[in-house]
Amino acid sequence: MDRRDFVKTAGGSILLAASSAYAFQFLTSSSASWMKLEVPSTGRKWGMVINLDRCQENCTACLDACRHENNVALSGDERWDIHWIRKVRIEGKIGSKTTEKSVILLCNHCDNPPCAQVCPVQATYKRDDGIVIIDHHRCIGCRYCMIACPYNARCFNFKDTEEWPNKERPRRSHGVAESCHLCAHRLDVGKMPACVEACQRVGAEALFVGDMNDPASNVSELITNNAVKRLKEDLGTAPKVHYIGL
Amino acid sequence: MDIKFESIEGRSFEYRVTMIAFAALAITGLISTFYIINKGLWVTGMYSRVPWGLQIVMAVYYIGLSAGSLVISGLYGVFGKLEYKPFARIAVYLAMLFLIAGLLSILTDQGRMDRVFIQPFVHFNLQSMFSINPILYIGHILICVVYLWALFTERKKLTTVVATLAFGWAFCVHSGTGAIFGFGARMLYESPLLPASFVAAAMASGTALMIIMIVGLFKLTNRRLDDELIVWLGRFLAICVIVVLYFIAVENSYRAYVIELRHAAVYYLFGGIHSLLFWIGLILIGLVIPIVILFRKKTGKSVKWIVLASSLVIFGVLCERYVIVIPGLTHPPEIFPGMEITHSAIEEGIASYSISFLEVLQALGVFGVIGFMFGWGLRYMKLLPTEARALHPCPESTSRKKL
Amino acid sequence: MNLQEILGKNASIAAVVIIVLLILLPLVWSIVSSVSTEGDQSSQLFLERPDPKYKNCIKDTEYMRYHHWELLRGIREEVVRYGKREDINFNKCRECHTSRERFCNKCHDATSLTPDCFDCHYYP
Ligand code: SF4
Ligand code: SF4
Ligand code: SF4
Repeated sequence: MDRRDFVKTAGGSILLAASSAYAFQFLTSSSASWMKLEVPSTGRKWGMVINLDRCQENCTACLDACRHENNVALSGDERWDIHWIRKVRIEGKIGSKTTEKSVILLCNHCDNPPCAQVCPVQATYKRDDGIVIIDHHRCIGCRYCMIACPYNARCFNFKDTEEWPNKERPRRSHGVAESCHLCAHRLDVGKMPACVEACQRVGAEALFVGDMNDPASNVSELITNNAVKRLKEDLGTAPKVHYIGL
Repeated sequence: MDIKFESIEGRSFEYRVTMIAFAALAITGLISTFYIINKGLWVTGMYSRVPWGLQIVMAVYYIGLSAGSLVISGLYGVFGKLEYKPFARIAVYLAMLFLIAGLLSILTDQGRMDRVFIQPFVHFNLQSMFSINPILYIGHILICVVYLWALFTERKKLTTVVATLAFGWAFCVHSGTGAIFGFGARMLYESPLLPASFVAAAMASGTALMIIMIVGLFKLTNRRLDDELIVWLGRFLAICVIVVLYFIAVENSYRAYVIELRHAAVYYLFGGIHSLLFWIGLILIGLVIPIVILFRKKTGKSVKWIVLASSLVIFGVLCERYVIVIPGLTHPPEIFPGMEITHSAIEEGIASYSISFLEVLQALGVFGVIGFMFGWGLRYMKLLPTEARALHPCPESTSRKKL
Repeated sequence: MNLQEILGKNASIAAVVIIVLLILLPLVWSIVSSVSTEGDQSSQLFLERPDPKYKNCIKDTEYMRYHHWELLRGIREEVVRYGKREDINFNKCRECHTSRERFCNKCHDATSLTPDCFDCHYYP
């Protein structure tokens, strides 16, 4: 064997060994995610109704509750603050009539979520019960979902904060995109989302979350008995947040 | 025709200074990237309303340059134009480097760079352009490597096969990159024309880059380069530029015509600093002036003017990338049609964005990396031909032997 | 034509050496880091004993010692992606293994691992 052959063989075998070592680690480390878990479908589809007529002008109970429950901290700099749920004032003019309203905006948990469609790692996905949720263990922080969301519902965790009001829940991790997850951790154990509870606590009762597949649920009843609107229905995203009095 | 390739000596003062400059750029880029990783992405000036910044602009731009230079190598590899064989190796090498640059730009833009290497391949999402594109990019780099090897070993058959494959692949890469934006939900992005216009802009910028590289390198190393070759490339460039102009015209007139999109078009064309970049940077400097230069009898035949036009095109396409990416983000999505948001915790209207110094350093750093790799390649690989002759040199150009 | 003709002799040797080094880097790295923490390993690791009123963990010691991360990852997947919220989480772990300093970090430090779970999940 001359020197060139030796180099070729040696290099080749080192390459093979190294790549198989990598491949082995790769396969073993990710096997968990390849197994499809058998989870019985609950048959539920969570939806939300926001009654703007009952929402009080200067109340921020739901926003504060969300911040506290989910550790959505303010970063101290307005530009990079994270808002999972926000209150905006809108103004419109028809003829000489001006209408003003304050509206609660949050992730609409679209039935056809464009954010989940574009996520390259399937970190954003629609759960079986309709909640659009982000696996922040997996998100690579490409921010494509924020581009795709037509409601500006997503925020990127640009800054780290030390605040950690609710120690039972994880702190917001830096470098990933996140948005409202309809308090999935509370719905799963039979509690109502933090913002809904807060709204009831202050006596406004403007927010409701319930099962849209169940015709007897409060949300279904509100939808049938009231004129409800959804945001930008023309896009075909089929939002599951309904507004009364918009 | 027998063409000899050689590497350059690399002992001259200029070569060393250039290499040191590139290395310095690369190191500053590296430092600024580490700083950004440490501090978090907010130091780049991006925020939740404008989540993509200069790095994405540069990534798209570099990838464009890459496919464009591959086209030049295709002139020999696919269409068998023997007189362009001397440039084939440089072209493929450059194509590979610029694709690496694009990947580096995208990589340094991620919030969680540590996860980029595994997650997208384990949890592949077929619906996402961002998931498909890395596959296209990595495939493109691999094809370039094989192509380069085929060129170095002078394998005729393999060259033709790989060159054709690379040619088609480059089109896919470009359409894919355009589709990132074209299939997006923003009012100024959504356009099925975008993938096609990306291909055109890529060809224009890549050809322009190759013209500058070829003329510069041959001049610096005192090699013979017949004017005809460059003049022909100049004509090719002119056609590409016209196609780009055509696409831009169609896209914008469509937007201005459809009532739904009209306000977006107005914002795009007359709405701020990006409109200046659009009209002056892209349309005037990047497209119209080069077309005039390239089509006038006198200037269109002179290498100096063609090089000037090429630099203008390169600048213009950079502006084009910017006015594709940024205004699409700063333009607000209409959450309440017919209503106006007067108060909000975030910027709901037209968002502000400015490039930060760190981002520029990062972009320059990526440029430094590939510049260094190119210099290294020139020295250690036989990239440059000894001379480049036209097939039928006309008498006036043979008089000027060395350019 | 081969590598030497393309690259020249010195450069090709350098390239081969660099590539081999890059491939071997993880190996070298782990050897170096294990040598540098050898002192810790030889001294007996003292893990905090859980409260004796808890008989056993959710799995036996041997499994937990070598596979707890797989278990945690599986649970994470179930909870985050499928909404199967069983009662196993860090808060549950904390009931017995009360301190991260005296329990988790002992082995993680000795093996020079830095899992980033605790960046976001509370574990005092
Ligand atoms: S509102 Fe936006 S973030 Fe929420 S599901 Fe719809 S597209 Fe996704
Ligand atoms: S930022 Fe995260 S969640 Fe959003 S698309 Fe990228 S990887 Fe998916
Ligand atoms: S449902 Fe939960 S996460 Fe969503 S806005 Fe309300 S409190 Fe926040």
